Amino acid sequence: MAKRRLKGGNVRVLDSLPMLIICIALVSALYFVCLARIASNNSMRYMIQIFLYITMAEMWNLLSGFTGMTSLGQQLYIGLAGYSVAVATTKLHLTLGLGLGIGVAISVVVALVMSLLLYRMEGMYFSVATWVVAEIFEKLFLNWKYVGQGSGMTIRIVPYPRIHEICVVALTVCVFAVATVYLLLRTKVGLGLTAMRDDIGAASAVGVNVFNHKLLVYAIAAAFTAIAAGIFLVNKGIVYPESGFSISWTVSLIFIVIVGGSGTVGGPIVGSVIYVFLQEYLARFPGWSNIILGTITILTILFLPKGIVGTLQEKLGFEIFSAKRFSYAKHR
Amino acid sequence: MSDTLLRIEDLHAGYGDFVAVDSASLEVKKGGIVALIGINGAGKTTLMNTVAGLHKPSSGKVYFKDEEITALSADRIVAKGLSLVPQGGRCFTRMSVQDNLLMGSFPKTARKNAKAMLARVYELFPDLEQMKQRPAGNLSGGQRQMVAIGRALMGSPECLIFDEISLGLSPVVINDIYRIIKRINKEENTSIILIEQDIRRALKTSDAFYVMLKGKVVLSGKSDEVDPETLKKAYFGI
Repeated sequence: MAKRRLKGGNVRVLDSLPMLIICIALVSALYFVCLARIASNNSMRYMIQIFLYITMAEMWNLLSGFTGMTSLGQQLYIGLAGYSVAVATTKLHLTLGLGLGIGVAISVVVALVMSLLLYRMEGMYFSVATWVVAEIFEKLFLNWKYVGQGSGMTIRIVPYPRIHEICVVALTVCVFAVATVYLLLRTKVGLGLTAMRDDIGAASAVGVNVFNHKLLVYAIAAAFTAIAAGIFLVNKGIVYPESGFSISWTVSLIFIVIVGGSGTVGGPIVGSVIYVFLQEYLARFPGWSNIILGTITILTILFLPKGIVGTLQEKLGFEIFSAKRFSYAKHR
Repeated sequence: MSDTLLRIEDLHAGYGDFVAVDSASLEVKKGGIVALIGINGAGKTTLMNTVAGLHKPSSGKVYFKDEEITALSADRIVAKGLSLVPQGGRCFTRMSVQDNLLMGSFPKTARKNAKAMLARVYELFPDLEQMKQRPAGNLSGGQRQMVAIGRALMGSPECLIFDEISLGLSPVVINDIYRIIKRINKEENTSIILIEQDIRRALKTSDAFYVMLKGKVVLSGKSDEVDPETLKKAYFGI
């Protein structure tokens, strides 16, 4: 009887050696493809997008799917990072790496200041507040002469990084992001976060320091979102207020996480692959693409509320990146 | 050290302009069971949430083990050994039963004992061991209440507050839970505060009682010496 009750999510797979080897092999293969320039420039463009969307989506998922902080304002850090890189490289003639570093630093500082304001809010209020702050920053940059006001800035780096270099950096950031989320969730902090998602009051009652946990996650999410967005916008070569601070960034992340599977580490990976190719395909139907993406999101919520990865985990009974930790290892 | 474990002095707490607790004082002895009774809206839950650090008091003081804990945050109070089992259990619904229990040893001070305490909780609630891998959201109300009690026990608290533990449960389950509460009190020497609507049961279980009405403590005394008429008057405020 007890055995039959064992449903999905009870077996952790990444802990097993074969799975770890497969993951390392896969990542190595991707590095090889980028470095040896086996892939065409076009496919590398897709890969860059996928890697960076995975990074940003993992972070949004960490905020929303695991911690219950549904931010609608991640574009704030995307815009800040884009402008930081643009100003650092084009105006101050610094290197790209330094520009990205400045972008991350500014984003983390803004995130820490913001959290003083945001931690007082929960649920819907938190979501709207994050969005409003992002909008305020957009207006700020729209009226700021130094950064080109509404027409934005073209990013000039000499020499401009080549696509396979960007691809390697994007892959590295992506691997770090997934590893960070995975490892974070498996620490005591991760347990606290999961508890907060389920019931913030009860989490507080058993001794979770809610404020510190929120602060940590919000800052980590800001940092990784910033670095990913910086690379993304360098790849595009231009940043302007509507592109940097647009809500459509967060909308994409919501699509990726919901379709892939909210509250799973694998979800954003699957979701990002789907999103990048779907977006490419939908480009043929201008004006309809957002309607179609929205419809898919709603249908997913209705019929696959756990997303693709969440549903697969339930049906097949295993997780590749499981956030469930010590209880199965120590006390089985 | 005195034999008083928890002392509340002249505590005031409210929500905006609304005063929920209006000068409440209360004392819990080491190893004692205290019943806190009163009609709905009397301020019992607010008082206890304030003690546990979940709500900020507007004035007054709380001492635990002769140490002031009034201004501390909830997580530090839990670490000191004062735990609250919130109204309605409030399990982490998407976590397994065992992860829920292990959440109880979240404070650094409780981590070392997690393994021993888990065995102890399973000894008190054999049913939970059978269901340890099920998500807590799939359990019945009584089972969830057991998870919540077990979770609070995991931190080896010296004082446990139960907020309307019998709310919405069948008499059989309530009997079971009260039996276990008494066992915890006896075997672990844990002081217990019971917020309860069922006056008879509360008095039968406890050593001392406090009656609250409109935010004030209107009557208190030893549970076995209570006069039913005086109690009725204090309870309803007539």
